[in-house]
Amino acid sequence: MYMYLPIALTSVNYLLVIGLGLVVGLLSGLFGVGGGFLMTPLLMMIGIPPTIAAATDANQIVAASSSGMFAHWRLGNVDFKMGLLLLIGGFVGGAAGVHLIKLLRATGGADFLIKITYVVMLGGVGSFMFVESLLALHKNKGAAKSAVAAKQKKEEKQSGFLRSLPMQMHFEKSGVTHSGLVPLALGVFVGVLAAIMGVGGGFLMVPVMIYMLRMPMHVVVGTSLFQILFTCVEVTFLQAYSNRTVDFILALLLLVGSVFGAQIGTVLGRKLHGDQLKILLAILVLAVTVKIVLELVMEPSLHLAYAGGH
Amino acid sequence: MSRSTSKLLGKVRFPHRFPLIIACALGLSALLQTVSVGALTAEVQPARIPITFGYHGATLTVSGESAPTDDIVVKISTEPTDTHMKRKTKVGGVVWMKKGDIEFKGLPLAYMLYSTADLGRILEPADLNASGLGYEALGAKATMEDEEGKAVDHYWFDEFIKLKEKECLYSIHEGTVVRRHGATGNQFQVVVDWPFQAQPHNYIVEVLAVRDGHVVERASTRVLVEQAGLVATLSGMATKHAGLYGLMAVIVALVAGLGVGAVFKKGGGSH
Repeated sequence: MYMYLPIALTSVNYLLVIGLGLVVGLLSGLFGVGGGFLMTPLLMMIGIPPTIAAATDANQIVAASSSGMFAHWRLGNVDFKMGLLLLIGGFVGGAAGVHLIKLLRATGGADFLIKITYVVMLGGVGSFMFVESLLALHKNKGAAKSAVAAKQKKEEKQSGFLRSLPMQMHFEKSGVTHSGLVPLALGVFVGVLAAIMGVGGGFLMVPVMIYMLRMPMHVVVGTSLFQILFTCVEVTFLQAYSNRTVDFILALLLLVGSVFGAQIGTVLGRKLHGDQLKILLAILVLAVTVKIVLELVMEPSLHLAYAGGH
Repeated sequence: MSRSTSKLLGKVRFPHRFPLIIACALGLSALLQTVSVGALTAEVQPARIPITFGYHGATLTVSGESAPTDDIVVKISTEPTDTHMKRKTKVGGVVWMKKGDIEFKGLPLAYMLYSTADLGRILEPADLNASGLGYEALGAKATMEDEEGKAVDHYWFDEFIKLKEKECLYSIHEGTVVRRHGATGNQFQVVVDWPFQAQPHNYIVEVLAVRDGHVVERASTRVLVEQAGLVATLSGMATKHAGLYGLMAVIVALVAGLGVGAVFKKGGGSH
């Protein structure tokens, strides 16, 4: 029932870890979102140090995203030009994030940064999903229409700004023209997040590609996976090399659960009502956010902790 | 009786010295018996705990021979070491984060005490302190400094103990050492639930015999906790060949992801 993790230096119930992978993979398969943003906090809850949880999750995402990317590549759904620019940005961001974690581990601030980033990102995504699914459930068409109109206005404003940037280039596969700086900057942002949070960043990248870069949906998923895969490959390697925080055994246990969970989720997703499940996921995401917020603001039972994130 | 024999018996003056010889023999016998029974011994089984993949702590048995009336204290610890820790402080009146350092000097990584009775009842305070038995004695020997090298309040020592107890690395179990008296001798034994949180290390197992409030005898042995097999290989690789380890983690994840994707045709989860 128990397995010793050589890098986390702790013994965990492997069925529990596989179960976590299964649940997160199931959500991933159901909703088409990445499980990374849930996996790292859940690992922290079962006693894995935050820096190891984040780095190991990046390793797990390498496996989870590689199969998806390969399938999309074979279908011709990967915009390599866009992906490469995102990737260059992602590499820079990933390296910066790993270095930032290393600096903060020395001062004891790494755990705090990981937690606060989670609060901001999960809080934002959870609230957005909650409101969106609530609107869909109530079928408030009037509100939805006004929201769409407001969104369109905002997008037009953004497009004007994006067109004014230098290095404009055409992306044939996606059928869009943008400044090369846009995917570069987005890649940096996602790379930093991948290193800090141990996530692929798909939950941010996909809406950005759809609404800001105006890429077609089928190309968005493939290109996002391409970028996530290589960013997480880099983050895994650098975390292992610089911080020694990748627990390969923990990643394997998570992988076993998540790949099967994703397949089950895909099957279930076809049978269940989408909006109800979406609101449940939003509640789950917000619950994790509240848990982390409480940990940050409530007086801890112990006022002492080991230096270096352990 | 031969001549020489009678001469010898005559020299011995048998009727006068016999009680003295008997008394000496009995005295010597009694003395030898006390030494053999009182000689404190310590043994730990198993003497080596291998950390393999299935490791979740272990069960140790510390046993030995002791004098029949002595109380026994078993101390399992490491050599005193320095531990660098962070204070959790409220920042901006809102969030708690690690801020400020404390260096704990002269405290072991692990400290587990087992005894036949309450330590305060069987030992004088001076003996408790001299032998480092109990948290107060540990605190008296340790020094605690902040980042500027100034001594910090004793409150932080209490927090240190709380943290170590939470990790199952510090504990005191009074009245857990069992003694047995019989024809084969006087034995003691304590069964220790070894915590999986204890780091790989060569731990000292010290047994102290206590009589009339004082430590009268000591014996010690060691228990080696070390990573073994694939756990040791992976841990060593992650430390000594970090680049190779990182590369392996990436390649295995890629192969696993692509392999599972091929099996399920549609691939794994997306992000």
